[in-house]
Amino acid sequence: MARLADRLHSGVVTIPQDRLRNFSIIAHIDHGKSTLADRLLEVTHTVEGRQMMSQVLDSMDLEREKGITIKARAVRLEYLAKDGLVYGLNLIDTPGHVDFSYEVSRSLQACEGAILVVDAAQGIEAQTLANVHLALKEGLTIVPVINKIDLPSAQPEVVMEELENILAIPREEVILASAKEGIGIVDILEAVVARIPPPKGDPEAPLKALIFDSHYDAYKGVINYVRLAAGTLHAHDRIRLMASGAESEMLELGVFRPQLVPVQLLVAGEVGYAATGLKNVREAQVGDTLTSAVRPAAEALPGYQEAKSLVFAGLYPLSGEDYPLLRDALEKLHLNDASFTYEPESSVALGFGFRCGFLGLLHMEIVQERLEREFSLDLIASAPSVEYQVQLIHGPVITIDNPSLLPSSGTIEEIREPWVRLSIVTPSTYIGPLMELATNRRGAFEGMDYLDPQRVLLKFELPLAELIVDFYDQLKSRTAGYASMDYEETDYRAANLVKVDIMVNGEPVDALSLICHRDKAQSLGRQLTERLKILIPRQMFEIPIQAAIGSNVIARETVRAMRKNVLAKCYGGDISRKRKLLEKQKEGKQRMKRVGSVEIPQEAFLAILGMGEE
Amino acid sequence: MTAGALPAEPIEPIEPGAGPPRPDLGATGATDTTTSVSLAQSPDPVPAAPGAAQLAAPPVALYVHVPFCVSLCPYCDFVVYAGALARGPRSQVAPFVEALTAELRLRADALDERWGSARPALGSVYLGGGTPSLLAAGAVGGLLELIARRFGMAAGAEITLEANPGPDDRGDLAGFAAAGVNRVSFGVQSLDPTELRALGRRHEPHDVAAAVDLARGAGIASLNLDLLYDIPGGTHDRWAASLDAALALGPDHLSLYSLTLDDPDAEGLTGPGGDHLPATAGARRWRERARARQDDDRAADQYRLAVERLATAGFRGYEISNWARPGHESRHNLAYWQRLPYEAVGPGGHAFDGATRRWNAARLDAYQAALRPIGGARPRLPPGGAEPLDNATAAVEAVILGLRLDSGLSRQAALAGPLGPHLAWALDRGLLTETAGDRIVLTTDGRLLSNELFARLV
Ligand SMILES: Nc1nc2c(ncn2[C@@H]2O[C@H](COP(=O)(O)OP(=O)(O)OP(=O)(O)O)[C@@H](O)[C@H]2O)c(=O)[nH]1
Ligand code: SF4
Ligand SMILES: [Mg+2]
Repeated sequence: MARLADRLHSGVVTIPQDRLRNFSIIAHIDHGKSTLADRLLEVTHTVEGRQMMSQVLDSMDLEREKGITIKARAVRLEYLAKDGLVYGLNLIDTPGHVDFSYEVSRSLQACEGAILVVDAAQGIEAQTLANVHLALKEGLTIVPVINKIDLPSAQPEVVMEELENILAIPREEVILASAKEGIGIVDILEAVVARIPPPKGDPEAPLKALIFDSHYDAYKGVINYVRLAAGTLHAHDRIRLMASGAESEMLELGVFRPQLVPVQLLVAGEVGYAATGLKNVREAQVGDTLTSAVRPAAEALPGYQEAKSLVFAGLYPLSGEDYPLLRDALEKLHLNDASFTYEPESSVALGFGFRCGFLGLLHMEIVQERLEREFSLDLIASAPSVEYQVQLIHGPVITIDNPSLLPSSGTIEEIREPWVRLSIVTPSTYIGPLMELATNRRGAFEGMDYLDPQRVLLKFELPLAELIVDFYDQLKSRTAGYASMDYEETDYRAANLVKVDIMVNGEPVDALSLICHRDKAQSLGRQLTERLKILIPRQMFEIPIQAAIGSNVIARETVRAMRKNVLAKCYGGDISRKRKLLEKQKEGKQRMKRVGSVEIPQEAFLAILGMGEE
Repeated sequence: MTAGALPAEPIEPIEPGAGPPRPDLGATGATDTTTSVSLAQSPDPVPAAPGAAQLAAPPVALYVHVPFCVSLCPYCDFVVYAGALARGPRSQVAPFVEALTAELRLRADALDERWGSARPALGSVYLGGGTPSLLAAGAVGGLLELIARRFGMAAGAEITLEANPGPDDRGDLAGFAAAGVNRVSFGVQSLDPTELRALGRRHEPHDVAAAVDLARGAGIASLNLDLLYDIPGGTHDRWAASLDAALALGPDHLSLYSLTLDDPDAEGLTGPGGDHLPATAGARRWRERARARQDDDRAADQYRLAVERLATAGFRGYEISNWARPGHESRHNLAYWQRLPYEAVGPGGHAFDGATRRWNAARLDAYQAALRPIGGARPRLPPGGAEPLDNATAAVEAVILGLRLDSGLSRQAALAGPLGPHLAWALDRGLLTETAGDRIVLTTDGRLLSNELFARLV
């Protein structure tokens, strides 16, 4: 076994199609997907002990820091099953957070099966349900796993009951495991081999490979991650991208182990990467079909439904001359995350930048951080907003995702805002506080189902705008962290909405404008000016901060003039320290955006997010 | 060596290399190397030509760090060891003095090697800490004698010793004076009992009066009191009362510091080779609470009150935090601001040779291990670090340090230099003003907001 493992590990063996298995690992956030992937990699000797670390597939710095998966990640394993045959497994570890469900759905489309992981102590949560429904929609075979049975608080019996009652998963199919302790891992692999069907697709047919992800490499150009639906791809084939029409000589073909390992060919059903050598990132986009330039397929694969952005914000370089860098960075990052959108916009306060659409606030934060880290940029994000539909009087309907662009109220017939259907899984003791929270946020109660005697699934309808402002934090704090939530967009509904403008030192700061319900405008304006007063540091002059609806000022605060900023301590002969303290002050100033004569820190533009309940 | 009386005329800055070379290294008080340049006309510290190489020169001042205190004040981030290390049977003071002696010898050797015997004598020595008054008078005498022998001591050199005013740590003031100390600086901090308690200080207001009497009785010719403002829970009135009480004690010099709760850990100064010690958990908690009770507005008012009251009392605010009666400006501290070369010994001590800033690491164990090696090995210089300054950094330092002084900078030279636009901005904003002698100096507003200007310069 050990020698076979060595052989398997050193190179990638070619395996007939009927012994290929493609599957994703899906679960609610933190239920142990990435840890289970670690064990699968270990047991199959894909990653040897020396290189093994926890959640090895979470290789992005941000993922390791936050302890969550952000990007779906594919790996090719070879498994010597109990039947004596070697199987080729393509595993995709997926993220659990609601903002990344688009990643999950794309991953699922590259698979025939999914391992569903459920935490033995927590049971079914909101994303468990959401992800199972995605998998069933794709017609995937589900291998249910109850994980973390090593925990003292584990209740595998209860969870098994939940699976049976809510998802109609027979208890005989459920595998009990502990990814941490390595329990049940071989059972899971055997179930994958036995239950998940092999991929279909004719290796002799013209090549059709779906691009499900990609990244940019300075040397090899665009690297597409593909799943072959039909045909065979050789390492140095001439390829064509069917949507863009671009052609190129391939530089390299390979699989993920999890690092990129070259192979000579991939056949229908397999998953791997293709280094296209293309330098223009627009020529090889996610969702496009890769085919042979010599013997092209007649028609492309359906591709993906575009991710629908729910939250919009402007991203601006801290210093104006970085604008071209930001444009370039957005293009390249977009290859690796096709789920955000961007288009140029300009702001009086912030200069030239891009209006970006995101799947949620965590997504927005991640995109901003990745741009800053991976492309060494300093960015300012403007206040996030949802997308409104505005019916003009005697005119067309326009969409507005930037509050500062809302036309004057006199020209508006009606403003409509997006609504979502919200599912919350919670211990039943918290029903009261959650009802109150949803009602405060203009939500409508839709219904309630008991998952088991102690836990319920609550359904609400709610304006999306009310959800993006710290709803999740409120949900967690009102339920001692026990509740989980998931949401999907439903429709647009008219509401009595107004625009609140913010003036700093007498000048309107367009990047701080927001749209809100008229009944909440007064208190929101007051809270926002109060927050800004705290967030904008004192400067050498007094700074008035005002909130206004049209020309009507609804709240006012003042940042008083700074009166003391001096090193008046005994530092003795330690002049270096004095200098370094001054350098730090300077750096702090450089991280602020100058609007008029006022220096405004980045956090101030996101002040709206920190607004708590009254 | 006897206690040298301070010269009657104002203390002048000492120009490096000025004056005739000192003929005899061994003799004390060899040659007076001071020149007759007065403070107001001090040579402009801005390097003549930007791009000119930084010139190193032998030291004209020496700092000696004595890192012991009876107890640790929660706001303190000097290099200090307290408690059993500072006194009693397990005291480390005596072995430390041995190590200090060894370092003084090694530093003097290095200076001899670098500059030869023809170098200027010291214009000032500063025994700081910590609480140097915990040293025995004999130890102070021994150190000063060694310093005079190996570094040379100019006639009338300023020899300062920092002391705490409390009865159990003010030390043998008469003995110190007899050993050559001619300036004493008391860490008074406040003359309000509530404030002293808030600061965790061990002395009471009446201790200060007693200490001042003792110092004067011992013939100390120049006396400084350190006071703190922006004390948590302090008020404008308490500050006014403290200031008046301090003036009533007849000091020659006042250093007024704003209580500043820096975090050496966050500044990255506390690593194994760092020049600071990490704060204890208790001190961190104390600082967090205290910071919340500080108030910039109150502090600014307190500073302004001091500016007025001390001017009325005949003191000159010759530096942002320092006031003196004419002739009592601290020659040693002026060396720092005028960027004259100074030597330093003791853990956490900082030296400057005109081109490079150098420091000793803070750890006492490493310091002792280097200078008093076991098994009879030869003493080595203690661990530490150095930072050579490039020309741009030196020029910025010169402007920042020069502006801290009331002599300011030459207007023409400063405005013509690369930092000119920032200085013009500050003139425009009223942070700087022009004086009769065609110099630019900080206004009182400008002093309070000086970092707004300085941070643009670095
Ligand atoms: N006790 C115990 N802890 C586990 C087990 N599996 C995972 N964990 C822990 O659960 C936490 C989350 O594990 P991950 O593997 O990162 O979870 P995930 O599902 O990949 O999380 P996301 O990708 O962020 O959705 C980590 O602290 C793991 O160490 C298990 O079997 N037992
Ligand atoms: S007495 Fe001075 S040096 Fe000693 S701990 Fe207190 S503040 Fe620090
Ligand atoms: Mg994960």
